[in-house]
Amino acid sequence: MSNDIAARVKKVTAVLLNVDEAKIEDSSRFVEDLGAASIQSIELVAAFEEEFDIEMDEDEALAVKTVGDAVTFIAKTIEEQKG
Amino acid sequence: MKLIIFEDALFDNFYPLTYMRPAFDLRCGGTTLREKIERAAGAAASALFVRDWMAAVTSAKNDAAVNDLSALSGDDEILLVNGRCLWLGDAKPPAGRDVVGKAADEIAYVSLTKETAAGIDASDFDSFLAAACEAAAPEEVPGLKMLAYPWNLIEENVEAIADDFKKLGKSGVEGTLAEGAYIWGPKDLVYVAPGAVIEPTAVIDTQDGPVIIEENVTVNPHTRIQGPAAIGRDTVLFGGKIREGTTIGPVCRVGGEVEESIIHGYSNKYHDGFLGHAYVCEWVNLGALTTNSDLKNDYGSVEVMFKGKLTDTGSTKVGAFIGDHTKTSIGTLINTGTMIGIMSNILGIAALLPKAVPSFTMFMQGMFFKAGPKKLIETARTAMNRRKVEMLPEEEELLGFLFELTKDERMAAVKKSRKEMMARKGLA
Repeated sequence: MSNDIAARVKKVTAVLLNVDEAKIEDSSRFVEDLGAASIQSIELVAAFEEEFDIEMDEDEALAVKTVGDAVTFIAKTIEEQKG
Repeated sequence: MKLIIFEDALFDNFYPLTYMRPAFDLRCGGTTLREKIERAAGAAASALFVRDWMAAVTSAKNDAAVNDLSALSGDDEILLVNGRCLWLGDAKPPAGRDVVGKAADEIAYVSLTKETAAGIDASDFDSFLAAACEAAAPEEVPGLKMLAYPWNLIEENVEAIADDFKKLGKSGVEGTLAEGAYIWGPKDLVYVAPGAVIEPTAVIDTQDGPVIIEENVTVNPHTRIQGPAAIGRDTVLFGGKIREGTTIGPVCRVGGEVEESIIHGYSNKYHDGFLGHAYVCEWVNLGALTTNSDLKNDYGSVEVMFKGKLTDTGSTKVGAFIGDHTKTSIGTLINTGTMIGIMSNILGIAALLPKAVPSFTMFMQGMFFKAGPKKLIETARTAMNRRKVEMLPEEEELLGFLFELTKDERMAAVKKSRKEMMARKGLA
């Protein structure tokens, strides 16, 4: 499941930030490496919520720095909300 | 005589204005509804009755007992006044009689002798009130009006300012009217309080009504204040056009054009932009060139989103109602009859906003997003600290409660926006 989550996170990230999906790694930082502006960070959170049909705590979600951390956070949220 | 002011079940008619305050703390004229009631009664309220979740913050901010049933007992005459009552005119509460004071078929107050009050079971407020109304004789009271909707506050503001000026009982300049500043019109229709400074080339125009300028107000050059108008203490006006029927509460920073509006207090509209027929709550910042419409191009009756439904106000001039701690960016355009919740962050999009902006949202690129309450509350705390005001723990708790209370409306807007965003980006 984690691989599926990771693939979907990278696909959404690539589209929203207009970056090459192949170059996104787990260690990629949304802001410093992928160029996410503050507005885009908010869009990313919303897109992940829609993609995975979950609701995230916005303060906690926006504190996530890397793609890998986002995958972990989303996986944890899915587990909590969908069992 | 013991004065007790209460909120009735219609407090939610005034959302978003009453998310963070009882209905009787709304401003109309130069004073709040409660201040007018207390002035008429000749006494401060000894007790306040509010909805349960408003009790803690009301208690923290007031000396009066809050939701304390023991206030209904004792050896006093009791005057129970509905906090939606706009008490204008010369009517005084009766003494020594059991009277239900009515304003156009609504109960504005109940006055009870101490004997009658002592005979009513005081174990529940609503039951006490109902029994009190049964025990007293109804009388229509001239000058009293029962407000039912947020736009009523605006509609009554002109008369309320004039009434407040009359009851102030003072006129003239006790502050400073600099050389080159002018009063145009009857000079006995202006009051400039001590510490207020009217700077050169500012004009106070009393031709159409009185102007009240409270303590330590600064009126910068090229400001015109057209009466009736009331400017609250420690406010600064930055060369704007403050037009008739406008109330600006304490500690505000206001420029640009404001017409027939109420800015409750501690809010900023520094720069150019029009604000008309609007009520702006506390700790709001309207970015430069934020402008609202208060009149439709076809001069038709304005509709607002009221309790989830588009509702005809019956009025052709209705602007915006903006909740506490909301911020707008530069160039935000607000449609006629718009309700904006609390703690929202609006980034203008060179197009009109939707007519309903839920609380605790970010609005950007034409879409609604959730906003994290912790960060919003920290920003609110920072804004308050800049004016040397501490956010009370009870206020923070109230904000947490309101975040949950407003969840359904917010999530409906957010989910719709998310789908739209995914479709726009090709991710649907």
